[in-house]
Amino acid sequence: MSQLELDIKNLIIDALGLEDMSANDIDSQQALFGDGLGLDSVDALELGLAIQKRYGIKLDAESKDTREHFANVAKLAAFINSHQTA
Amino acid sequence: MEVPQDRQVIVLHFSIADWQAWAPGLTSHTDWQAWALDQRAVDNSDTTPDVSFLPAMQRRRLSPLARMSFCVGWPLAQAQGSLPLVFLSRHGETGRTAELLNQLAAQQPLSPTQFGLSVHNAIIGQWSILRGETAEMTALAGASDGFEQAFIEACLLLQQHPQVLLIVAEEAPAACYQPAIDDVPFSYALGLRLSRGEQFTLDWQAPSNDPSTAIAHPLSWLKHFLRSHTQWLHATPQRTWHWQQA
Repeated sequence: MSQLELDIKNLIIDALGLEDMSANDIDSQQALFGDGLGLDSVDALELGLAIQKRYGIKLDAESKDTREHFANVAKLAAFINSHQTA
Repeated sequence: MEVPQDRQVIVLHFSIADWQAWAPGLTSHTDWQAWALDQRAVDNSDTTPDVSFLPAMQRRRLSPLARMSFCVGWPLAQAQGSLPLVFLSRHGETGRTAELLNQLAAQQPLSPTQFGLSVHNAIIGQWSILRGETAEMTALAGASDGFEQAFIEACLLLQQHPQVLLIVAEEAPAACYQPAIDDVPFSYALGLRLSRGEQFTLDWQAPSNDPSTAIAHPLSWLKHFLRSHTQWLHATPQRTWHWQQA
């Protein structure tokens, strides 16, 4: 697990109030929404805001790509990396 | 409910089938009985109501006010079937509101969760979702006699349901609200499962010049209830409420 992936996991836990969870409980490939971690649409908005605040990346809620970037922690890390190096 | 012919007042009758209350350090019936006799006080080092009966994923969005409400309401609602709910809070989500206003003042984007759950009926909405409850629910905010107004609402529901749940919750105000809120000495919640019956009689009269109760009214009421007082008055600027307990 990369440092960025670890940071994202902790961000998810803090921003969404996931009591009783630690970064080790979230697999980087685990789906964040639906049957995976079980997050919902309100979490998606909250997580988008947390990423915007932490990494300065504004996400487009209407974009199809956004759904892809939010699939799991690994994809979020790749997305944030691509913005930070761009 | 009856409307006597000789005077234009309504008299409410009901019983209390069960109750629960929470404040920091006061959770059991025994704790509250001791508190009512001035033998025990609030312990501000213990400020977390227990909602561990809910999975972590379900309780994560519950505010402190919601946690207090669920802590007293949940055990009262278990195994009761469908139960209408009257939720009363004079001040509501002051903690969340203060936080949102601070974020706005700092020109920060608002948390969608905080914003969405800051409205007064958010707690009954969450109650409905987490319990799968579809009975009538209402969220009230009343001033000095909001507590009695909640009983009027609950007694109306008792006409159609054998039992009604009443939850009163107030959160110790954020620092910025403290000069304006003088009736929440500490965070507390009170849950009452009301049934049809004659244990209590409540009616009201024109306002008198009596001084109002010294402590927050639902807490004052709880003392009368637990001390088994047979009658008392609650004077407000608008009207005087007359309580009788059999």
